[in-house]
Amino acid sequence: MTRFTIPATAKAIALQLLVVALATIVLSASGNARMAPAITLPDRDGAKITLESLRGRVVLVDIWASWCPPCKAAFPAYDKLYRSYRERGFEVLAINVDEKRGAADAFLNSQEFQLRVLFDPKGTAPMGFELRAMPTSYLVDKRGAIRFSHEGFTEKVLPQYRSEIEELMAEKP
Amino acid sequence: MTRTTTIRRVLAVLALVALGAGATACATVQPWQRGRLSKTCMQFSPDPALTAFAGHWQESREGAAGGLGLQGGGCGCK
Repeated sequence: MTRFTIPATAKAIALQLLVVALATIVLSASGNARMAPAITLPDRDGAKITLESLRGRVVLVDIWASWCPPCKAAFPAYDKLYRSYRERGFEVLAINVDEKRGAADAFLNSQEFQLRVLFDPKGTAPMGFELRAMPTSYLVDKRGAIRFSHEGFTEKVLPQYRSEIEELMAEKP
Repeated sequence: MTRTTTIRRVLAVLALVALGAGATACATVQPWQRGRLSKTCMQFSPDPALTAFAGHWQESREGAAGGLGLQGGGCGCK
């Protein structure tokens, strides 16, 4: 009877793969969420707002532009979320990335909203968040970690937003 | 090594360096920088409805999709 032996190199590779797989499982199970980048941007009045100043609150960061129709569709929906939850410690930062302020203002003047709009013509916020598509929104928890993100927008995902916001607001800071 | 061969080699190296330098000039347009690309004038087709119709029948009859030059801003922004 022939006896098959596994080469030492193959054993070493298999062991390494096992270690990497285990490490991945452990890291994902521990909820190792990425921290939100430091952001300092002006609002409509020119006042500088930082994301760090909102620690202790659940923040929805929406990155939008006036040339992006799904972004414009999402804007009133996020404002509605803000009005629903603001009393319970929820904040929305709608970060506009239009290169020209006039285009953003034209859209904003056509809207009635209460959420906070920030202006980022140089795109520092999307770079920090490593944005891959427009629009993208991020739900940042009370500790400043990015817990959920949504690329694109449809009305169908609003119940999911609500459940995620509820989940984050139930957590302790 | 003859003088002609040396000159050819130097020219080949210079051509490669120029090619490499040119390649570094390429940059990816980030999703948030696509404001200009999303403008109607950046479309290959002047009629979005006609383009959408052509896309529809090509997809259903030929199993082909895309490549019709729709302008975009990232995730289907038009």
